[in-house]
Amino acid sequence: MTRRVIFPLILFAVMVLSGVALELLPHQLLMGTYMIVPHWLFVILIYIAIFYDRNDTYYAVLYALIFGLLFDIVYTGVLGVYMFSYALVIYIVRGLKKMLQGNFYVLLMLSAFGIAIADISIYAIFTVIGFTDMPIEVYLLNRLIPTILMNLLFLVLIYPFIIKPMRKWGTELT
Amino acid sequence: MNFFRSKKLFVILIGFIVLVVLIGYSLNSRGHLNFAEKIVSDAVGWVQNIAQAPVTFVTDIASNVSDFKTTYEENQVLREQLSQQKSMVYDLQKLEDENEELRSIIDMTETARDYEPIYATVIARSPEQWVDQVTINRGESDGVQENMVVRTAEGMIGKVLRTSKGTSTVQLLTGFDEFNRVSATVLREDDSDIFGMIEGFDEETEMLLFRIIEESEADIEEGDTVYSSELGGEFPAGITIGEVKEVVADQYGLTRIAMVEPAADLFDIRNVIVVNRSIDQPEDEEEGDDES
Repeated sequence: MTRRVIFPLILFAVMVLSGVALELLPHQLLMGTYMIVPHWLFVILIYIAIFYDRNDTYYAVLYALIFGLLFDIVYTGVLGVYMFSYALVIYIVRGLKKMLQGNFYVLLMLSAFGIAIADISIYAIFTVIGFTDMPIEVYLLNRLIPTILMNLLFLVLIYPFIIKPMRKWGTELT
Repeated sequence: MNFFRSKKLFVILIGFIVLVVLIGYSLNSRGHLNFAEKIVSDAVGWVQNIAQAPVTFVTDIASNVSDFKTTYEENQVLREQLSQQKSMVYDLQKLEDENEELRSIIDMTETARDYEPIYATVIARSPEQWVDQVTINRGESDGVQENMVVRTAEGMIGKVLRTSKGTSTVQLLTGFDEFNRVSATVLREDDSDIFGMIEGFDEETEMLLFRIIEESEADIEEGDTVYSSELGGEFPAGITIGEVKEVVADQYGLTRIAMVEPAADLFDIRNVIVVNRSIDQPEDEEEGDDES
């Protein structure tokens, strides 16, 4: 019972906090040339995909669809962008996971890869609908790389707190 | 195996179609939230309201410390300014009285300059920095409507884009484009004001782009202050937008664009005022005239 409720609760809290958190960061970060997008929701989803999901369950993809849509409603007003990007990439990560073992380095590698693909997908969609006209080389340097690094930092920071309960819940799932 | 491969492809294709439909839907109904979206916004806004309290507490302490450092210098500057203002207060008072008297003679009580303020606090900023939106903790039930101007004490910061019951989303000036424009003006004596539109933000220089539509005899100069204008029909007049820093020709050389430095800090926003233009829209005004 608790397992059913706890992931939606964590994901909801992370989604809410990622909006409030930008107030905490020094404002020079927002004004400067670098654009850092907190994909914290996505990081939690990766944890779920790698350490919780079995080969026949699709919890991470399902949560990606639901909370991606909520993220779109609350923060961007354009429905489907985060929903599609997150769900697609989590689905790909879930596929790659089957070939690799679920340890820390695999997590790090898959996350870097996943955040990159997800953010590029968001960039592509926003470019097509005209929300941004950032040239690709500026995007890669000023947004993609800082975003990947900052989100990996978040991933490493929460690792000690999240890994044990996640593994435990994962083994309970049969 | 082959069958499963094609099934996966099929699912992804359907997902793509859903994506296109959803984007098309949300771009068409821009500004109007549907029922479900409003519920979600309210629920998230409610939680953000709670989460934001400790965050504000911490950041306030940090900013208080940095405030202490600059207090002395600021005090000196403000003293100087205060002595200059004193003489202006007297003039202003006289002019205001006179203005009121004259207005009462011609039976005109409301102007486009009047507005009713709704005070609000920023509870979240969109993590996606391309959309430049913040969420405030006042919504429809407090009288906030779409397209109202949002300002801080320093000047305009944006306008209300979407509303739900208890929260609303504000489009910041930095995210303005051809679809989100503000009519603005530079005041000149002798009725030769300069009119134009704020229609964009230059990321590199961090300046607003003020496209000059109607040019008067007087040329726009560096240091001129740009105000909102009532001609857009939605906003009250006289809200400070920013200061002209540079005037350049646009890409076709037909009109000129003034680079305007925003008066308000668009990145450090905490307390805002939603401005409700108290004068009725033009249609209502005419009806009122007929009755009287």
